[in-house]
Order: sequence, then structure tokens, then C-alpha cells
Amino acid sequence: MLVVTCPVCGAKGDETDFHYGGQAHIRRPATHDPVNISDEEQRDYLFIRNNPKGLHFERWRCDRGCGKWFHAARDTQSLEFKAFYGIIELPPEELQKEAKGPWADYFKKRAKAKA
Amino acid sequence: MLEARFESALAQRSAPENIYIDMREISERGMIDLRGQTSDRKFTAAARAVLGTDLPKEPRTSATWGDAKILWLSPDQWLITCPRGKAQDLTNALVKELGDTHSLAINVSDMRAIIRLEGEFAREVVMKGSTLDLTDGDYTPGTVRRMRFAEIAALLHIVEEKTIDIYVFRSYAHYAWDFLVKAARKGSEVRLFPNSG
Repeated sequence: MLVVTCPVCGAKGDETDFHYGGQAHIRRPATHDPVNISDEEQRDYLFIRNNPKGLHFERWRCDRGCGKWFHAARDTQSLEFKAFYGIIELPPEELQKEAKGPWADYFKKRAKAKA
Repeated sequence: MLEARFESALAQRSAPENIYIDMREISERGMIDLRGQTSDRKFTAAARAVLGTDLPKEPRTSATWGDAKILWLSPDQWLITCPRGKAQDLTNALVKELGDTHSLAINVSDMRAIIRLEGEFAREVVMKGSTLDLTDGDYTPGTVRRMRFAEIAALLHIVEEKTIDIYVFRSYAHYAWDFLVKAARKGSEVRLFPNSG
């Protein structure tokens, strides 16, 4: 049983009070370059998801609480939650560094855009 | 022509003898759904002007002013309960005062049914249908939160230490009532929890 804490309202409860919303931090290509988007990019955006053993970034909704969406970082092996953070936020720095695969690229891009 | 007449969701039901808490429907409360941003000063000022008190901003809290209660539902949503007869006037006053701020006030008096549970074991009975630990010190009188109760969406309001209101959507009222009657059947007391008697 996963015990989730909502970063918006602070409600703590088991996973049935919340709702899993899939992989987080997915970049929608059409938002950035609607003209030059390729079929492959659009396919990856819609259907291809990351399935790592270890650190996973995901979206959750405080379904039976305040109703707001938020992010969570979870270890898929130990099922331990590493962090809960807001829906427009990025994970804590140390988790960004640990991130692999598409997330690593995404966080780097976001950091660059900020700088 | 027949006139539309309000009949509460559980008007035909009465609590059976063989349960170990007191249960009844509260049908005399009106309810108003209020939404808006607390960062908008015009919104909070307007709500305060009509309701006489600040909107509760802390999660899972409530505020009382006279015969009205304001229950926190989410960072931008509140449920105001007041005597049924006053709900429409209060809604109109809110709508007028809120003017063109980005907000919503609507009379939802008939949307939900309220079931009141009273007694030593009220908390225990609610816990039979939810994952919350109501013996936890967090659930003091005045606490409000939405929860998953018996697989449906419900709103929990701890009125007093041993008095609990459960709000469910009207179409679920009979289901929730039947669930509670079964869960509270005499002889099914759990008595595992220190606070439950």
C-alpha cells in the first residue's frame, strides 16, 4: 500500500484516496514547434512511456481530498516516495541529478531555459 | 397544477433499533458552493462582507458565523451551510457583492444529503468505510475533509468530538444510509481503538 501526501493540502492517505495520473514531465512537441513536428515525435509524445527500474517521476491527483494535481517522485523498486511537489514545479535538485532517460534531458532543457 | 415541493433524500427512512450509534438525516440545512482565488483581495473582501467572517484558508478547517458554517473543500472552494430558508438570499447577496470578480457562488442545497452520526462509536463506524484514522489527534471538532467513504465520494465534518456529519451526493444517500446501518449493527462493535470507547 502506498501512502501519499498531497503537497497542496497536506492530506495524507493511502493510494485509494488519490489517483495516479501517468508519467510526469512529458514535453509536448506541438506546443514548441507546431509546424515542423514529425510523425515520430508525435507518436512518442502520445504513446511511448518510460518504464524504469528505480526513480520514476509521475503525476497524482488528490482525488478524494482537495482535488488538485501534483507531482511525485517514486522508486519503482522499493515503492518509496522520494518527494512530492507542485504541479508546475520541478523535483528537488538532487533528484533532477539522479534522473535518467527522457527526464534527464527534460530537466536539463528546463534548467537551460531558466538560465 | 402541482407545485414543486422539496422532499429530503432520506425522508422515507428512519434509523432502525438495532444499531449502536444515533443516526439521522439533517434536511434543514441549505448549502452554497463558493469558488474563487484567495489571492484576489476583492474576492476575499466580498466574501467577508457577506459572510461576516474570513473564509478559512487552512486546509481541512471550517469557520462559523451565526447560523452559517463555512467548510473548506479545496484551496479555492468552500461549502457554506446555513438554514435552508436563507440559502437563496445568501447566494443572491454573495453574487451581488462578488460582482465581476473571477468567482462563483451557487445554491446547491439539493445537491447533497447530510447524515448525522452521534455517539461513542461514531468515529469507529465511519472508519469501517474509509482509510482515514479518525482516532488520530488531527481530527478535532471543526475538521472538514473530503474522503472516499464506502467507495463513494463523501465529505466528512467533525462537528463535535462524538458528532459527525457525512455529506454525500443526493443520489448516493440511500446507499450511504444502508451502508451505515449495516456497519453500525449492534454486536459489530470493534472497540479496537482507544478513542472509540
